Amino acid sequence: MSRAGPGPEDRHAQNHGTDSGGTATGCAEAVVTPPRPAGRALAALAGLRAPVVWVLLAIAFFTSISGKPVDGVLMLIVAVGLAWDAGRRALRHPETAAATARTARLTGRRRRFAVIALLAGAVVYAVVVGSFSRYSWPATAGIIGLGTVAVLIGWHGPVRARPDGGRLPVAGTLAWLAVLVAGCLWELSALLQQPSLTTDSHAHPTISTLTDPLLATSPGRSVALLAWVAFGWYLVER
Amino acid sequence: MTWHAVTIAGYLLFVAGVVVLQLLAAKTRVPVPSFGELLTRAMRSRTGRVGVLVAWAWIGLHFFAR
Repeated sequence: MSRAGPGPEDRHAQNHGTDSGGTATGCAEAVVTPPRPAGRALAALAGLRAPVVWVLLAIAFFTSISGKPVDGVLMLIVAVGLAWDAGRRALRHPETAAATARTARLTGRRRRFAVIALLAGAVVYAVVVGSFSRYSWPATAGIIGLGTVAVLIGWHGPVRARPDGGRLPVAGTLAWLAVLVAGCLWELSALLQQPSLTTDSHAHPTISTLTDPLLATSPGRSVALLAWVAFGWYLVER
Repeated sequence: MTWHAVTIAGYLLFVAGVVVLQLLAAKTRVPVPSFGELLTRAMRSRTGRVGVLVAWAWIGLHFFAR
């Protein structure tokens, strides 16, 4: 099972809340004796202990000052929601706070039909949203709509159970982190060497600048959107 | 070599690093997790799962939305 229990961050927050709330351990109820106000406040702040929340807050800040206030506000909403949710769940017991995998699976023809319908929907979505100009309100609505659906699905837990897989090899994981962090820093250095955060540079192009020619055309946008939707589908299935 | 070329070379190096690690994970016995395993591990907790999905949504917002 991929989600037999809460992950490390959740466990951490839950333990913190349980301790601060003064609740007894080993109780089988979902919500136990209400904690004192101080304990409740500490439990709510437990949500801020999740690194993801701080990463999202940083993205919200930098996106906003880069001239994309809509992105910034959306990131801020998710960061606050995630912190609140983690804090709220910190008041519960780990057994009941754990999100469980929705293991109901479609089989045979129904599954094939569902996959075909989803594929057709993805293609139609990519063609329709790709036909709108970049940064237009219709395109923005399309992206926000699908993004919200995917995040809400993820919020409720994995769509299907997966084997745990155990611990990842440390050296290999560090190698991945090194490559990914190096890529992010390279992009950031290009961004900071632009004349300004909102002015492109030919000498130091960001990935956005390099993809501009592709995304300038409707077919190019549709192909890129199809790839984005496919990757989102892959993530939701994790 | 211009700065433009250097910057592009940096991106290509990054892509090569990703491809090499993925090939090591898929085709050899070197103890390197695949990108999928890495994501699965990151998405085991709710905060991790939501964080990864929000990062994906942000990519769409960044390239297409206002």
